[in-house]
Amino acid sequence: MTDHYDVAIVGGGPAGQAAALTLDDLKLKTVVIDEQPQAGGQILRQPPQSFRIPGWMEDRTYAPLVELLRRFEARTSIHWIGSHSVIGLRREPDGLFALTICSPDGLRSITAARVLIAAGCQDLAVPLPGWTLPGVYSAGGMQALLKAQRIVPGEQIVLAGTHPLQLLIAAQLVEAGGGVAAVLFSQPHGTMLKAGIRNSLRAFDRLSTAFPAVRALATLRKHGVKVLYNAPIQAICGTDRVAAVQHSGGEIACDAVGLCYGFVSQSSLPRMMSAKMRRAGPAGGWATLCDEWMQSSIQGLYVAGETTGVAGANAALASGNIAGFGIGAELGAISRDEAARRVARHRANRRSLLRFARLLDEIADPRPFFPALRDDTLVCRCEDVAFAQIGPVLDGRSANAVKLVTRCGMGLCQGRNCEPTLLRLLDNPNDPGFTARFPARPVPISDLAT
Amino acid sequence: MMRLDHGIERGRRIQIILDGERVDVFEGETLAAAMIEQSSAFRRDSNGMARGMFCNMGTCGECTVTLLPGGQRVRACLVPAQVGMDVTRD
Repeated sequence: MTDHYDVAIVGGGPAGQAAALTLDDLKLKTVVIDEQPQAGGQILRQPPQSFRIPGWMEDRTYAPLVELLRRFEARTSIHWIGSHSVIGLRREPDGLFALTICSPDGLRSITAARVLIAAGCQDLAVPLPGWTLPGVYSAGGMQALLKAQRIVPGEQIVLAGTHPLQLLIAAQLVEAGGGVAAVLFSQPHGTMLKAGIRNSLRAFDRLSTAFPAVRALATLRKHGVKVLYNAPIQAICGTDRVAAVQHSGGEIACDAVGLCYGFVSQSSLPRMMSAKMRRAGPAGGWATLCDEWMQSSIQGLYVAGETTGVAGANAALASGNIAGFGIGAELGAISRDEAARRVARHRANRRSLLRFARLLDEIADPRPFFPALRDDTLVCRCEDVAFAQIGPVLDGRSANAVKLVTRCGMGLCQGRNCEPTLLRLLDNPNDPGFTARFPARPVPISDLAT
Repeated sequence: MMRLDHGIERGRRIQIILDGERVDVFEGETLAAAMIEQSSAFRRDSNGMARGMFCNMGTCGECTVTLLPGGQRVRACLVPAQVGMDVTRD
């Protein structure tokens, strides 16, 4: 027996929560599926229910998101399926969408009249010599350890990259009692300032969003944490684990590294459905194209949040509201005119947040600062494919062809880490990247056979 | 590695089996968190190099472990530790 819903939402972050609440208000039967046990997304990655953490995410930056999360969790009429991955999405002959979902207990199917993909983003994986040493994490992963597990993965941590978020993460680490050795920005301070000033008019209405970075800098100063600019990380050293980082101005001893070059959309499900995509911002990755109601090029398949291009949690929240009303109108639960009235403020809010996101993209642009690869630097972490194996076979080939020749992209992450690097090396703006195939996450063949 | 303790109540102490050894962990923390407290190195790659977790959000697969006796392959960063779990990194 397959469970059926009016709407299935993939992703329980701000976009998914906002859409689900809107759809539930409109009396549509809605399910939200997420890989995490609890809702929140990465921005509010929740601690286990057995933990008590006074003051969790109480910084006022997060207040609207925490309020949304509490409302979502209190709404028992929304069906929540946590700890499940959506590994397949297809359209049935009767027009319904069929989703294959999986957990350690096996696979099952659900169907839905409409689907909203709000699957978030991941850190852009940037290869450099030594980046596969234990103790090197994506900065977002390091932050999630702190937020949800209350673990600081080192006593002398270095954050390095181009994205200003690393200031916030460093500040959160030291405020929690962790030790941060340094924050290294690849770009000169002047580059960041200039981008800020050039865009100050369009960012003016969102200055408050920039305040957390200013406060983070003050926190780091108070704790004596070095923040270096024009100090691109070049290599990470160590034998069995991280011991130091080399940057253009010297070496810093450390026991953990967080790499912070920006974020790319999770795109496997829309690509599996052949929705129209665009190359996303300077960090790379693929954003799903959509109309003013967040409907993708596939009728009935909606997208919201970072799936449409990385723009932050508040923009995700706004787009989730828009998608909720868009789906509600398409299913006849609200008139199109009334829906348009209700989304007007969310659209205005999203537009202004997108302007700020573009400014942040410009400040954090990693392109001039990607570290040089050595022959033995692994580009594909899953299949241990080094740059020396990839470099000689690039000429005239597509990403798919390089994958077949080298196994780059064939491993457990299914190319999520190496695809942006490979596309950068190929430098062909028309390359569509790896073909997205079922299953979107690795799954035992025994589960598929039953 | 450092489990912060200031003002935080974790779940109850339980034991799981990790690569055949009994290990004290907190109920509900992720297997990856419990593993990282032991060592940031989780496995050796095909070149014999030590490797650890990378993304901590279910994307990279670097923390994939096997649950015994069923043999399910799971991403340790997504799975909460529960009493009696038997986990192997091979």
